Amino acid sequence: MFRERSIIHFNVADFAVAVERMCDNSLRRRPLIIAPLQAARAVVYDMSEEAYQDGVRKKMALAQAKKRCPEAVVVSPRIELYRRAMQQCIKRVKRFSPCFEHGWADGHLFVDMTGTHRLFGPAPDVAWKVRKEVRNDLGIAPIWSVSPSKLVAKVASRVVKPSGEYIVGAGEEEAFLAPLPVSLLPGLHWWERRMLDELNIARIGEIARLSRQELVIPFGGRGDFFHDTSRGIDHQAVGGGARQDSTFCYDHHFADDTNDQSSVRRAVAAMAAQAGAELRDGGRAVRRIGLRLIYSDGLSAIRQASRRVGSCDDTVLRDMALLALERAWRRRTRLRSCHLVCDRLHRRSPQLSLLSMLPEQQPVEENLLGALDTIRHRFGKCGVQRGCRLRAAPYASPGLAPMTSRNMTSL
Amino acid sequence: MFTPPSVGRLAVGGAGCPLLVGTCGYSYAEWRDCGFYPATSRSADMLGLYMRFFPIVELNYTWYQMPRAEAVQRMVTRVPADFRFAAKLTRTLTHERSTEWRSELHRYRQGIAPLGERLATVLIQLPPDFDRSEAHRYYLAGILDGLQGLPVAVEFRHASWAVDQVYGELERRGVTLVAVDAPAIPSLFPSLDVVTNSDFFYVRFHGRNLRGWQSSNMQKKFDYDYQAAELQEWVAGPLARMASHSSRGYVFFNNHVRGQAPRNASLLQKLLQTRMAEDERCSGSAQ
Repeated sequence: MFRERSIIHFNVADFAVAVERMCDNSLRRRPLIIAPLQAARAVVYDMSEEAYQDGVRKKMALAQAKKRCPEAVVVSPRIELYRRAMQQCIKRVKRFSPCFEHGWADGHLFVDMTGTHRLFGPAPDVAWKVRKEVRNDLGIAPIWSVSPSKLVAKVASRVVKPSGEYIVGAGEEEAFLAPLPVSLLPGLHWWERRMLDELNIARIGEIARLSRQELVIPFGGRGDFFHDTSRGIDHQAVGGGARQDSTFCYDHHFADDTNDQSSVRRAVAAMAAQAGAELRDGGRAVRRIGLRLIYSDGLSAIRQASRRVGSCDDTVLRDMALLALERAWRRRTRLRSCHLVCDRLHRRSPQLSLLSMLPEQQPVEENLLGALDTIRHRFGKCGVQRGCRLRAAPYASPGLAPMTSRNMTSL
Repeated sequence: MFTPPSVGRLAVGGAGCPLLVGTCGYSYAEWRDCGFYPATSRSADMLGLYMRFFPIVELNYTWYQMPRAEAVQRMVTRVPADFRFAAKLTRTLTHERSTEWRSELHRYRQGIAPLGERLATVLIQLPPDFDRSEAHRYYLAGILDGLQGLPVAVEFRHASWAVDQVYGELERRGVTLVAVDAPAIPSLFPSLDVVTNSDFFYVRFHGRNLRGWQSSNMQKKFDYDYQAAELQEWVAGPLARMASHSSRGYVFFNNHVRGQAPRNASLLQKLLQTRMAEDERCSGSAQ
């Protein structure tokens, strides 16, 4: 049966700034930069529109940002606060659709309203209601856009940023995109932007005029992406994407850049536990865990740990994640965030193992995990955490000496 | 099943006032479910299908978002020259008023500019909390001044505006007072057939779902199916009276739920055609 999709994209421009200003009204009067104050080589986490207009950008060195916008107030990021604010936004959306997708405390939220019109009315009306509630209750006003795909909804939000709304009807996608600059297309690599520039292509409509074959010549395998994207063709599901298909992803942003071993290992272990709980919920097991570390200077490192037999046991996942950490963490530079990916998933077999565990141990471990999951379901993900003693890692890294006050200052 | 009536002007009353019947909005997924639009039609096709049934539409998306000239231009090119639009004023000027309303109004005028001759009127629908306080009177006067040169209709939702002084001022400004058919709620602006602008009158049928009106759910609020007898009362009474004082009339159905609006609009068109045929027969036999 024909079903036209209706997707709402909510976006709170400069989410961290909006949350900080919501908590402290005095911050509304001046440009605001959010960056870790204690970090030696701090970079900008987020900035207000005024600071942006002065040339401040995300990931820019704080010292440089301060030079560009000397009157800006600088505050330290409060990641937990942003996460809680994001949860409040999600709570208001959940009432209208079970199918939604959100970033990690970044103010982006996609909601698939397809098929809900008889219950809640047209999608623009739902978007307006949610925005009104979020504005009244939280004091932040998200941009909203309605379109038949995630891609077009995201571009529409970018068009109206920092405030406003946009409705693009099904069948109007190509006409809507055609006059827009190519820089508004999401997912472009830097070299692709340069290539478009060299080809003197400034508008999305100019890409849409080229055939698939013509686009393959400059962009190779990405030719199809340009062909579909420039025409507004995007069948990506909301709430699906990578997670639904083959991966579970988690992010942890450190409030301040850190190279404290115990806090990094604690964060990685917590993500592994979260993954374990969600895998058990979905009746799945994982065979590989990857970890991406992002350093405060913007460089990153990715390593992984895998096993032959899949597992969803917290202890096993934690050991895999810590092994990946051990392999990835090779520099002395402080860490900004880490990103954990569980892939190579498979369904958990209901077949019991005959030999892998002593029969008297198996129920104890399973019962414990079951009890933890029950508590988390009732009281939230942070309702209970499994305690563990994290040994000091015998890192093979020659560059990573034990932290002392002396070499900390030299970092 | 919907049977397309002949599209054109319908006349009521002896004066032969042209009457254009349409609906509030045209892009509803549920109109596909109820058979008004073919099951495979896309949103972009809906206006083209809609205009086969009705000669005018009330644009309600302009309430949700500030109209953009390029999008309006694209829409205008898809309709014939005699098709008309009533454009609702954006919510940031009616329901979420801010201190920057002057610039918003300027943007609005720019946005609807491509409608040109096709613009039947700008509809200012004011919220229920917009009472006749001094501040609100000044604000409304400012909005009307800002829309000078455009045909304008005002719908009040607060009963305090139902006074002769208001009708007099609207008449002086050449602004149409919107007549409504809605549930009888004391605080709501009453259903009146006062004509304040001889150029055109404007009627909105919201439905008479009292319980739905009091809920915050739009799907309940506008869930009402008018019976032929209820519409016949309007044809014989208020519509005929208003038509005798105006040179044109616009009638819109807002009960969009389950495709009731297009169904009722078609029914009204038929009733008006019957009435017109009867009038012609009477005048023929009198001669």
